[in-house]
Amino acid sequence: MSQTTVSTAPTPAVRNRPKNLLGHAWAGVAMLLAFYLILVAIFTVLSPFFLTVKNLLSIGSNMAFIGLMAAAGTPLIIAGGLDLSVAAVAGISGVIVAMCYAAGIDIWIACLVAILAGGLIGAGNGALTNGLKLNPFIVTLGTMSIITGASLVLTGGLTQPLMIPGFNWIGSGKIGGSGGIPVPLIIMLVVYFLAWWAMAFTPFGRYIYASGGNPEASRMLGIPVDRTQILLYVASGLAGALAGVIVAAMLGAAAPDSVGKHLLTVIAAIILGGTSLFGGRGSVWGTLLAVLILGTLNNGLTLLNVSSFWQDVTKGAVLLLAVGLDQLRVRSQA
Amino acid sequence: MANNRILDMNGIGKAFGGVPVLADVHFHLDAGEVVALLGANGAGKSTLMKILSGNYSRDAGTIAVNGRDHDLKSPADALALGIRMLPQELSVFPDLTVAENIMIGALPKNGMHVDRRAMEVRATALLERMGLDGLSPRTRMGALSHHVQRIVEIARAMNGEARVLIMDEPTASLAADEVQMLFGIIRRLRADGISIIYISHYLKEVFAVSGRIAVLRDGRNAGDFTTANTNVDEVLHAIIGNRVGDLYPAFSANAASAADVVRVEGLSVEGWLRGVDFTVRGGSITGVHGLIGSGVEMIGRALFGAAPRTRVRRVEIDGKPYQVSTPGKAVEAGLGLVAAERKREGIVAMLSLRENMSLANMPLFTKGVSVDRKKEATTTAEWIRRLSIRARNAEQPIGTLSGGNQQKVCLARWLLGDLKVLILEEPTRGVDVGARQEIYRQIRQLADGGLGILLISSDAEEVAGLADRSIALASGRVTEVFEQPTEASALMSAASKSAAAA
Repeated sequence: MSQTTVSTAPTPAVRNRPKNLLGHAWAGVAMLLAFYLILVAIFTVLSPFFLTVKNLLSIGSNMAFIGLMAAAGTPLIIAGGLDLSVAAVAGISGVIVAMCYAAGIDIWIACLVAILAGGLIGAGNGALTNGLKLNPFIVTLGTMSIITGASLVLTGGLTQPLMIPGFNWIGSGKIGGSGGIPVPLIIMLVVYFLAWWAMAFTPFGRYIYASGGNPEASRMLGIPVDRTQILLYVASGLAGALAGVIVAAMLGAAAPDSVGKHLLTVIAAIILGGTSLFGGRGSVWGTLLAVLILGTLNNGLTLLNVSSFWQDVTKGAVLLLAVGLDQLRVRSQA
Repeated sequence: MANNRILDMNGIGKAFGGVPVLADVHFHLDAGEVVALLGANGAGKSTLMKILSGNYSRDAGTIAVNGRDHDLKSPADALALGIRMLPQELSVFPDLTVAENIMIGALPKNGMHVDRRAMEVRATALLERMGLDGLSPRTRMGALSHHVQRIVEIARAMNGEARVLIMDEPTASLAADEVQMLFGIIRRLRADGISIIYISHYLKEVFAVSGRIAVLRDGRNAGDFTTANTNVDEVLHAIIGNRVGDLYPAFSANAASAADVVRVEGLSVEGWLRGVDFTVRGGSITGVHGLIGSGVEMIGRALFGAAPRTRVRRVEIDGKPYQVSTPGKAVEAGLGLVAAERKREGIVAMLSLRENMSLANMPLFTKGVSVDRKKEATTTAEWIRRLSIRARNAEQPIGTLSGGNQQKVCLARWLLGDLKVLILEEPTRGVDVGARQEIYRQIRQLADGGLGILLISSDAEEVAGLADRSIALASGRVTEVFEQPTEASALMSAASKSAAAA
């Protein structure tokens, strides 16, 4: 992990950067990595069950759907947008798969329909925020509520079973035998690499950082700020829908209310990962580390038999601590 | 004489980061006197007034109010001494009442509650002093027209023991009859013994309203005139002085014979420009001068497609019709714009020099689907050398560079692509003299290389020193066209035809 992180700054490196700049690009991610390792060390000491390949892989597998949503949310927030509807999209995506399947449609086509629907919802968010110039917080709060409600209306609030071996493999399958790497983890990592590549190496990526860093200057330079943001809303919708498909495959059922409650974890991971809510700054690797930290915390505390109520308290405290430290770091550089 | 001297500032000095902006400045004010404080941009007027209002500390000198020395450590100190400042921009609370707006700094209390009656009684008295007898103190501020809000703002400044009122460009957004109304109020206040410091670029207004004119140039006193015994030429000369010519490069020899690259007819921006015509020629610099509020702020960005509510009759680029739409389309058509508000509209502070350099020309730096960072790095390094940009290297975040060096990047980024016309808005605002000379030299070199340059500046000297031909704007219209290089004083008098005259 540490190897990959080293080549992934938001402003990727030309060799022989002076030391203080290396610090600038890396300090945030390095801090998260240190935090993660400390967490792993603590749980290793406290629980004999923690540091096993199986347990670590299960953390990755359980966090994959959150990681997916956060992977798309990171560039969107960096570009100056925000998508609160992403978890609701994941919820309705499972419902769409179940309904299509129940209507006799092939399960893979059903997945495709669900993912396209997610993209369409994202396009709608983008059109409202950038076309009508409405505040993204309010727009996506509204669409979140509409989509959540629609999922419940469509299903009557009931869970729809989806026990189809080929399909369930996406959620609970493993590559390389029973002790192998979980499929959701692989899907998530592929998405992270794609996002990193697009953000660090393509002109589109440059537009993401510029649009969020200074939208007015970007417009004055002829950068397509609105198009960039709309595309990212679409990406967020697609990622949400994919996350929903994975959750449905994992549970073997589409539960309309299964993902919505994880929205705060998604946003928390993005912020914890060092992305500025005001745009312009952040990286997907920071987000990935933050997802791992939140997942590890959850897993470790469960192994120690800490009640899930206390887990929420811990999660919030960690978020405040990390964001506070990050602010101190950024201010000390300014 | 001496016993009605209300303010005496002596030997005032101030430096920012080692650069002196005020040196041994004297300024005094008698009771009931209206003094105009004049000077070019950067002459030190605002700094002097910020020292007087307690917003800046001074490095040297003394300030005596009513014959006693005072320290003026904070705005509260200045307020307590009766020194009030009317900000350039309206600063009111549109959803509060007129009375609340007037009394907001000193609300009368009745126990824990605001004493509404006392508040309204006192507000009414202040409104009467302004001649606004009929205005109910319970009116919502936002329901009033702009100039009435302005007068309410003056009433607010008069609350308490006001002695000195500083007015910074008070007529910038007022119509001719509203200016007359303001002058009426100034006369009333003067009769009440209030002293007024009146800062303005509009010389006609200055001559109409002031009793004395004090001029600053390059942070020093440059003249003190009794208004009745002087004239516009004398004052203009004091403002401009005999500047050394070597700040500016030589003019183009063949500007007159050059062909038009851009031809604009009937450019209008609602509230700013009313049917402006101009052309930009290849290989030369076309200057546009106007005071703040004259539309000079909008003319470049309107052509660039970055001003809201723009209408235009006809634009031609290289003889072909061009439809003004968005900055993206303007860039495709070969226009570039260096914005006046560099921090807000010019740079992405947290990105590196290299990334800022390529932003407007990403296609040039794209290989296949990914960014060609090597090319970015070599190009940036080359421009750092050519423009002697002071930076550690190309990876330094641009926000950490000085203003002049940021501006060089903003200039250089347009020279990478296939540019026909470069629009420069206030290219040396907030730039120190050393970097200024370098920037002027570069602008001239670009023009010599065949580029058409539209130089937009509220600094008449800059336009006079650099432009091969120029136009002057006032109140959204072209007031004069100069086909040859011209004097700063000619540009200034063409641009200071006040709203009343235009």
